[in-house]
Amino acid sequence: MYDLKKPEHDVDQAKTKISARGVQVFYGDTQAIKDVNVEIADKTVTSFIGPSGCGKSTFLRCINRMNDTIDICRVEGEITIDGHDIYAPDVDPVQLRAKVGMVFQKPNPFPKSIYDNVAYGPRIHGMTRNKAELDEVVETALRGAGLWNEVKDRLDTPGTGLSGGQQQRLCIARAVATQPEVLLMDEPCSALDPIATALIEDLIDDLKQQFSVVIVTHSMQQAARISQKTAFFHLGNLVEYGDTDTIFTNPRDERTENYITGRTG
Amino acid sequence: MTLIAFLILISAVVIGYVLNLRSARALRHGGAKMHSLDGFHGGYAALMVLIPTFMLIITWLLFQGTVIEYLVKSGLPQDQLEGKGTGEIQLIMAEIRSIAGGRIFGTPEAWKLDAAERMVALRATSGGLLVAATAALAAVMLYIARRKVAADFRARQGAEGIIHGLMVACATVAIFVTIGIVASLLFETIRFFNMVPFWDFILGTSWEPQIPLREDQIAAEGAFGMLPVFLGTLVIATVAMVVATPIGLLSAIYLHEFASHRVRAVVKPVLEILAGVPTVVYGFFAILVIAPAIRSFGADLGLPIAPNTALAAGSVMGIMLIPFISSFADDALGAVPRSLRDGSLAVGATPAETVLKVLFPAAIPGIVGGILLAVSRAIGETMIVVMAAGLIAKMTINPLDSVTTVTVQIVTLLIGDTAFDSPKTLAAFALGMVLFLMTLVINIAALRIVRKYREIYD
Repeated sequence: MYDLKKPEHDVDQAKTKISARGVQVFYGDTQAIKDVNVEIADKTVTSFIGPSGCGKSTFLRCINRMNDTIDICRVEGEITIDGHDIYAPDVDPVQLRAKVGMVFQKPNPFPKSIYDNVAYGPRIHGMTRNKAELDEVVETALRGAGLWNEVKDRLDTPGTGLSGGQQQRLCIARAVATQPEVLLMDEPCSALDPIATALIEDLIDDLKQQFSVVIVTHSMQQAARISQKTAFFHLGNLVEYGDTDTIFTNPRDERTENYITGRTG
Repeated sequence: MTLIAFLILISAVVIGYVLNLRSARALRHGGAKMHSLDGFHGGYAALMVLIPTFMLIITWLLFQGTVIEYLVKSGLPQDQLEGKGTGEIQLIMAEIRSIAGGRIFGTPEAWKLDAAERMVALRATSGGLLVAATAALAAVMLYIARRKVAADFRARQGAEGIIHGLMVACATVAIFVTIGIVASLLFETIRFFNMVPFWDFILGTSWEPQIPLREDQIAAEGAFGMLPVFLGTLVIATVAMVVATPIGLLSAIYLHEFASHRVRAVVKPVLEILAGVPTVVYGFFAILVIAPAIRSFGADLGLPIAPNTALAAGSVMGIMLIPFISSFADDALGAVPRSLRDGSLAVGATPAETVLKVLFPAAIPGIVGGILLAVSRAIGETMIVVMAAGLIAKMTINPLDSVTTVTVQIVTLLIGDTAFDSPKTLAAFALGMVLFLMTLVINIAALRIVRKYREIYD
């Protein structure tokens, strides 16, 4: 039921997974996102880049409705996944978040064992019928996150005892365990050293075979290395969106060019 | 005289500050490269004068009464004191004191008047000496401080060192007060165990502290077994915790995780008011509302229920502890980082699952610590049980029965006409000692749990 080896898709032929039309986000009276339209492809890594406070994280959090947990936050416009409006009244945000996993900037493992951390989602959603199946899901998720070999002998030790990079991969395993269709990553490497970062970047490359990955990053090299599509945000606007190669070599907009060449930041 | 001493102190401090400040400034203007700013030289002098002189005045005031009494007492004619007990001598001294203060009742004997006059004279001398000593010490300290002003003198470190020492002294006060409290309990407890065997007290199952006050009085022999009394305390504390823990925890979880801003704005202050209600008022509530309600409910069921049940006192005590537990749990939940909550919500957990499976386990150490502190408060709580619990010590764990508690017994043993050398009164100290040790152990356990299992989130 949980198969990592799905046939690889060609990026160019990928169909649209997430589509946003006229999205605006307000925190109280301040507008954080202004009229964003974007089509994010399936089985692709899409990176959001832009200076701090430009709204890329806010937009990311709209895709799994994490902004609902902030009282003063208001989202307008339409975001669809596979053509279904995720802000429709009949959509349960809890179910949605099982389908749209998220990894945060700082590793946030629960103060539980490694096993329980990964099994958290599958248990909540009743995805397995018995212990053996759960064991399998946990193992698959940990393998998928490239962590299995490091922790298989100490699954019952606390997840908080791992190193920073391992913790972040544990969080990826936790997100992957619920078999999401989309994985959102909010600067997943900003708290990690270069070696741990390289591991996670390899991992992201593997993960895109199963689902569409959207990653917010401050490192343009990282965006160039791992993503096929790049979106540049500036002051709440989506300035430019297209193939990563095009954005980095031949940007259309002056603001994008300035940011990429380091003239503004 | 004391006022003059303080005036001397203040002016010496000001003079020291100004003198050192000016001489430091003069040095600086003279071209010297000063180690410290002028203000530190001034401050150093002020502190050097202030602290020793202030300590001198305080010590003097603390001990002058005792010394004068001793001198007056040793000057009394020996034949008047012969064969008299401490109580009578204390009475005589009190009379002399009131004569010295100008309040004369009847016609006192001539030797008492003499003694009173001597006391007045001694007080005057003491006052004069105090002023002289203050002035002398302040002058010496002024001189020492003034001599120190130099380009390379580290006045900055010097002043900071003095303030550092002052802070250490303040922190030590709390420790010494605690030691003093324990010592005062300990001495009386030892006296008690000289009269009543230790194991009779610790393991005895009968508590009847009525003993004859006078030789000819007919009364029971008296039994000092603490077990029924402590059992009563435990019953009431258990009832209190059974009431307080679930209500406190659930209200904290609700307020912290689910309540809207408007609800929280109303409920939190109400809970804080609950924490501020004097325990006497809780006592009224227990006698006037809860106890009759329990009794009539029992009567409807055909159960004979005592008018002052452990249930009534315990449940009202539980109400008192609700805000305590709820604020501890609230703090503990608030200390769990937001990233954990986000992590749980992001895998598709509902808010309730998030609280139950992630936030609550992460907050458990803080919550357990809070509950243990609440237990030690329940054990030590006095006023509610004095008003609402019974007086007779029974070996029972039935919350519908009337039980007594340690604190109630301490109060009843110590009020009224009591001699401080009978086991009846001293038993109060022994009970207090055991109570103190119990709450101490619980508090230490609580703090250790909080410290050991607290997750460190950065």
